[in-house]
Amino acid sequence: MERWKEMLPLTEAFYYILVALYVEPSHGYGIMQEAERMSRGRVKIGAGTLYTALNTLLNKGVIENYPGPEGTDSRRKMYAITEDGRAVVKAEIERLEELLESGRTALIKGRN
Amino acid sequence: MAETMEKRYRLSLSWEHDKEENYLNRLSAEGLHFEKISGFVRYTLKRDPSVRYTYRLDYQGGFNKKTNNKQEYIGLFEDAGWEYVSSYGNMWHYFRREWREGEEPQLYTDRESMVGFYKRIQSVILILFLSNLIIMSVNILRPGPIRIVLLFLYAFLFAVLGVGYAKLNKKIKQAEG
Repeated sequence: MERWKEMLPLTEAFYYILVALYVEPSHGYGIMQEAERMSRGRVKIGAGTLYTALNTLLNKGVIENYPGPEGTDSRRKMYAITEDGRAVVKAEIERLEELLESGRTALIKGRN
Repeated sequence: MAETMEKRYRLSLSWEHDKEENYLNRLSAEGLHFEKISGFVRYTLKRDPSVRYTYRLDYQGGFNKKTNNKQEYIGLFEDAGWEYVSSYGNMWHYFRREWREGEEPQLYTDRESMVGFYKRIQSVILILFLSNLIIMSVNILRPGPIRIVLLFLYAFLFAVLGVGYAKLNKKIKQAEG
């Protein structure tokens, strides 16, 4: 079994980091802002949470370092999602869809 | 106005970082802002009544690996609005941002990363405990009256470390809900 499969279910922070990077490579601050925007201000990832999450995701091989454009601040590290990372996101979305579907079906049945 | 530096002395324990944050934040509200710790217990503070900060401590060990660069670490926190103040033992890192009414900015925003934070501190306590156990076993083999004194000192050290470990366990349980 692939190593990334044991990551499911993802925490909200992990999920939003991967979803943000699915679109395009970004640096830490960009990921924070994207997560906040996508969740309409609900998910604010703290600096400590983000830093440790990025290290975990790097170690699991679901994200990787991305060479920033020439002349950019070298302290501002860029990250990109890997193929394994894309697989994690898809698997998680499938899992969430199943949860939603089960829940919605129950709500409809429960009306009677 | 000339800046004045002041000293305070306080023993802070690794498993009580929240108490230390409260201490620094209280001082900052009084116009005394933490700059650094040296010599285990000596806090250097700068007096400036015109500002007030919220302080937070982070624990990260081992900045030597290529992927774990300290500059990048600090850069990420600065991007998130934190000002890096100083580090203690290259393990504890002090950050601050300007205090705002009603805001309580946190470094760890979910229970999983909070638990990870406590577990990192716990693992250091465990290493201290085990390494001292080995050192003690070597020392205790030497004959002489000093042996009893050593034994008491070690018993005290192990008790303190044990309490710290247990307190962190309690915090982890609370965080896990």
